[in-house]
Amino acid sequence: MLRLRELQLGFAAAVLDNIESDFDRHVRDAGLGGARRLRVYRNNAVLGLTGALEAVYPVARRVVGEGFFRYAAAQYIAYYPSRSGDLHVFGEHFPVFLQSFEPAAELAYLPDVARLEWAYHQVFHAASHPLLDLATLAQVPVERRETLRFQIHPAARLLESAFPILRIWQINQDDHTDDPSVDLSEGGVKLLIIRDENLDIEFRSLEDGEFSLLSTLAADGDFATACERAMTAQPTFDLPTCFGQHVLQGTLVAFY
Amino acid sequence: MTTKPVLSRLGPGSIPARAGIGLRAEHYDAVLEDRPPVGWLEVHSENYFGAGGKPLDYLERIRARYPLSLHGVGLSIGSTDPLNRQHLAKLKELIRRFEPALVSEHLSWSSVGGRYFNDLLPLPYTEEALDHMVARVAQVQDALGRQILIENPSSYLQYVESAIPEWEFLVELAERTGCGVLLDVNNIYVSACNHGFDATTYLQTVPRHIVREIHLAGFTVNRVDDGEILIDTHNQPVWPPVWALYRQAVQRFGRIPTLIEWDTDLPELTVLVDEAYRADAILEETHAQAA
Repeated sequence: MLRLRELQLGFAAAVLDNIESDFDRHVRDAGLGGARRLRVYRNNAVLGLTGALEAVYPVARRVVGEGFFRYAAAQYIAYYPSRSGDLHVFGEHFPVFLQSFEPAAELAYLPDVARLEWAYHQVFHAASHPLLDLATLAQVPVERRETLRFQIHPAARLLESAFPILRIWQINQDDHTDDPSVDLSEGGVKLLIIRDENLDIEFRSLEDGEFSLLSTLAADGDFATACERAMTAQPTFDLPTCFGQHVLQGTLVAFY
Repeated sequence: MTTKPVLSRLGPGSIPARAGIGLRAEHYDAVLEDRPPVGWLEVHSENYFGAGGKPLDYLERIRARYPLSLHGVGLSIGSTDPLNRQHLAKLKELIRRFEPALVSEHLSWSSVGGRYFNDLLPLPYTEEALDHMVARVAQVQDALGRQILIENPSSYLQYVESAIPEWEFLVELAERTGCGVLLDVNNIYVSACNHGFDATTYLQTVPRHIVREIHLAGFTVNRVDDGEILIDTHNQPVWPPVWALYRQAVQRFGRIPTLIEWDTDLPELTVLVDEAYRADAILEETHAQAA
């Protein structure tokens, strides 16, 4: 008789890894047969995990079609198994997986579309945060301001791509009725994904200066470095106004 | 940032002995606008493990109107891996914030070697497995500081090693840990059909005082070769033989809070409410007969 742990490991290998074994000798046939009964669990598990990926990556699914998506999902599940009982954290590595997934190699934009969808998913479930205290910020001595670091709102993400991924996302929404065409050579995009006061998610296409400023701060760069990079990226960038807006709107929520 | 417990008119009080429905994201707005006259609502705990955003915001607003039950699917209590402390901590925080009257999990395992299958996998019904489940349920109740309910699973296989009938295993677990039983009448029916045991035996073995919640749901029949297997899919109305078994259960256990469980292929909210009415009618009738 197998100890419980060995039984569970054996079940996992046989049923979920699909490894050839005689595990079905532990299962009562009862007409249907042990192997067939074990397959019910395999199907349920794959279905459930695939469903979780479909829920997070509906645009990627629409782009490649249901059949291909299921095939990709089955491979993903084998390479990047779920590590949590919370299905909402499953699928984080799907963009990276797609990057090296040979059958999808032609769709060069696909990994970035998936990155956008994962970022959207993170923003959807992220914490709220009170606005930055302007009065306290104003009191920071001038000589200290350069060294300040800023915390980005937990429900904000920055993303850039060489592909028009925002347009691809938009035309693949259920309620999109306009022209569904996209020109893949129309150029890339720099995005801020953020929540409004109603917790609805919006995408903002940013100019180079603004993107540099925010992404440097998000990467824990100090204010001086962020400003330098922003002005280098876009000499015409109105940094003071833009910075002020992001403080007021709550993109930047704390400083230290 | 610690959120205050939701200010509910109802307080942390108990779930009424009436029918309730599962609260799904697709119905958030309808529940707030229509205020369906159901006794209570149940959610999957893991759907509220995020740090913020719409799910928690909606749950807070809805919790102010309805008693709540938290039903977990991912704690993997029966796994031989150590209990997932992070998962427990999130569940504990959810309990603190939303003050559910009932908290439940499954007689099942869903992970081993750190890998999760996010599905309810079958335990062998052996003395070793029973001792293990007893120890785990005790740990969970200790960590949460409260009683949990354990739900009987739907099963598609029986292990050669199993020596204890499932109903006896579940009762023994409850008696040794003080946990309650969430009796899923649909799962009893599905498992009874799949394994050829008598559903009535299940009902009659479980003592009245440990059943604190009942689940009702729909199943799907899968034709396989020259046989069939029932799968607990939670995607359709409750089947007539399950209503009949529920009637028996109410006659035996009395008025128990009953949940209509519908997780996928969701219909309009009114369909769930209609199923709840049907359960309420059976609760009423049986109570009237007993009076």
